[in-house]
Amino acid sequence: MNSIVFGLLAVLSLYAFFKLAKVKASSKQLNRNNRINRFGDKNSDNIIEGESEEVVEDNDDK
Amino acid sequence: MSKHAAINRFGRSANPAFTKNFTSSFDSIPISERMTLDGAVNKTGILLGLCFAGAFVGWNIPVLAIPSAIIGLILALVTIFRSPSKAGSTAPLYALVQGIFLGGITLMFESQFDGIAIQAIGLTFGILASLLVCYKSGLILPTENFRLMLGAAIGGIMILYLINFVMSFFGSTLSFLTSNSLMSIGFSFAIIAVASFTLVLDFDFIEEGAEKGMPKYMEWYGAFSLMVTLIWLYLEILRLLAKIRSR
Repeated sequence: MNSIVFGLLAVLSLYAFFKLAKVKASSKQLNRNNRINRFGDKNSDNIIEGESEEVVEDNDDK
Repeated sequence: MSKHAAINRFGRSANPAFTKNFTSSFDSIPISERMTLDGAVNKTGILLGLCFAGAFVGWNIPVLAIPSAIIGLILALVTIFRSPSKAGSTAPLYALVQGIFLGGITLMFESQFDGIAIQAIGLTFGILASLLVCYKSGLILPTENFRLMLGAAIGGIMILYLINFVMSFFGSTLSFLTSNSLMSIGFSFAIIAVASFTLVLDFDFIEEGAEKGMPKYMEWYGAFSLMVTLIWLYLEILRLLAKIRSR
């Protein structure tokens, strides 16, 4: 009986894994700003491309 | 003075390390050669299949367990530190030899505690599925601090394993790792918790890799990292069940 219960648990869990793992994670998981950034942000633009803006406090220096 | 004064004075850098094309070099990879969730999951299935096949061999020829463990360790180190891009060839081999090791070690436990193998398998896959649900639903949100804490915990556990391994040559062991005392059982629970949360990092690695269009070989690497954690989790569950049943 014990073996049947744990065997069923293994089969059902594997089925759930293969079904669910192919689904994209929820927006709560993906759309947050404290995610781990392992590969860098490919969409980020850098200052050298000239797309950043001057910060306001710079005006004080003039 | 403007914060962009250096750029205004000297112009833009020609250093390729600072150009947009370099930072987003993965954009140049054709879509068909990018990592996908489906691909990583299918490869995890292949590795699990190979692991079960290896376990069948190890169960029937248990003398192969120790050589397989050593070969598996070497393959894991090669995959992690030398050539993640070759994970497509090293990961299946790793799964196969680790399967042989697990088959042999499981037979050893099973001969002492009847039915322990199926309990450990059921609990391992149960934890895998439930943590996947927690991750996909956003119930557990891995952050950089989460990763650092897990890294520190895994490092501490590995040092303890190493000390225990060295001590075993002198006929002694760390009792809270190996005995069946309540403290040892509690410690096993803590290790299983760390191994389980490591699965969340593996899910996040695969999700992020697919999202950012990493190269195809990262599917194998993601599946490999999931296998490493699953094998560790299975062994710890096996040890915990053995400790509980030997009391």
